[in-house]
Amino acid sequence: MDEIIQRIRDNFGVLREHRQRDDLAEVWIEPRHVLPLLTWLKEHTPFVQLTHLSAVDWLEDGEFQLTYLLTDPVGRRSLMVAVRISREEATAESVHTLWAHAVTYEQEINEMFGIHFPGSPRQGVPFILEGWDDIPPMRRDFDTVEYMNRHHPSRPGREHTDPRRYIGQVVGEKGYLHD
Amino acid sequence: MASSKFPLAPPEHSRPHAPMGEGCFLGETERQQPLALKEALAKIKNWFRANSLWVMAYGTGCGSIELRPLTTARFDMERFGMAMRPTPRQSNVLIISGYLSVKSLKRVIRAYEQMPSPKWVVGLGSCTINGGMYWDSYNTINRLDLYVPVDLYIAGCMPRPEALLEGFGVLMEKIKAGEANGWNHYLEQMDWYKENQKKLITDWDLPDYNW
Repeated sequence: MDEIIQRIRDNFGVLREHRQRDDLAEVWIEPRHVLPLLTWLKEHTPFVQLTHLSAVDWLEDGEFQLTYLLTDPVGRRSLMVAVRISREEATAESVHTLWAHAVTYEQEINEMFGIHFPGSPRQGVPFILEGWDDIPPMRRDFDTVEYMNRHHPSRPGREHTDPRRYIGQVVGEKGYLHD
Repeated sequence: MASSKFPLAPPEHSRPHAPMGEGCFLGETERQQPLALKEALAKIKNWFRANSLWVMAYGTGCGSIELRPLTTARFDMERFGMAMRPTPRQSNVLIISGYLSVKSLKRVIRAYEQMPSPKWVVGLGSCTINGGMYWDSYNTINRLDLYVPVDLYIAGCMPRPEALLEGFGVLMEKIKAGEANGWNHYLEQMDWYKENQKKLITDWDLPDYNW
């Protein structure tokens, strides 16, 4: 693991890194290095499996984070490759040429976050949301309560208990059960 | 809370139900029968119906986990004459077991309309009543009875199999008494249900009725 991370540092440049456990490391890299790095990892290291591809909306920074979780199935180790991309452009390189199942991840991220992966098949094809006509719902500026009020009317008489206030009444003003 | 987009209660019945839960579209022979005979026949039919509930093997949310034990030896719903059927054409009870997404609602409408009458809908869990813990979700409906007629709600999150059996007992009593008339209401208020369904499902590509 150390050797592989050292090679990534030397060849691609690491913006930030974090060693969670012996068998789990995280590296943050620049967007232009994503495809070369993932290709190198798949072809020349034991990290051959794309276990997960997910996105995070960093609204305050104006960025999306894409996280590729690679796994070494023999050595039972995981390497997380994270990349920040601009929120305005919201475009990232597709990795479906390396792993065919990335098409489904990219289709879902395209629907839920509005991030476009040029060249990936099934971009814009509905995955869960059929007939969606609003901004993508996993973006943090999407107001889910307002959308719910417009589309899903509630039954009258529903009471809402604010958890913070309710827990405050039970365990004191701090609002925490444990310190 | 309430939006002006939907009327929150279905309109009044345009005409009273036929006696004892008999269908609102009676054949010529049934219409000519004297009322007492009609009622007596309806009672007998309802007794048979209540004792032969065929549940569609379909689950939408976490509640379908609680349905599985009913079919096995411990809770054993077959002792009440209930069994799971694989297709809507063979079943007459549709259980909406928990949260229902808009995508699933489209399939539920299709399945419900394909079921032969008389048919009953059971809403299982808080999510079908008022949204439950998913009340503020963009993708799950908050009230099932706006889209399909619900004959019985079983509250809980999630209700245990014992609660389900208790609920089915109540459903049987309602059927025997001729009070479980959701399928009649759906036919009578078809326009109101279709309007609600089409407001929510924007890419409507179903026929007006799925025979």
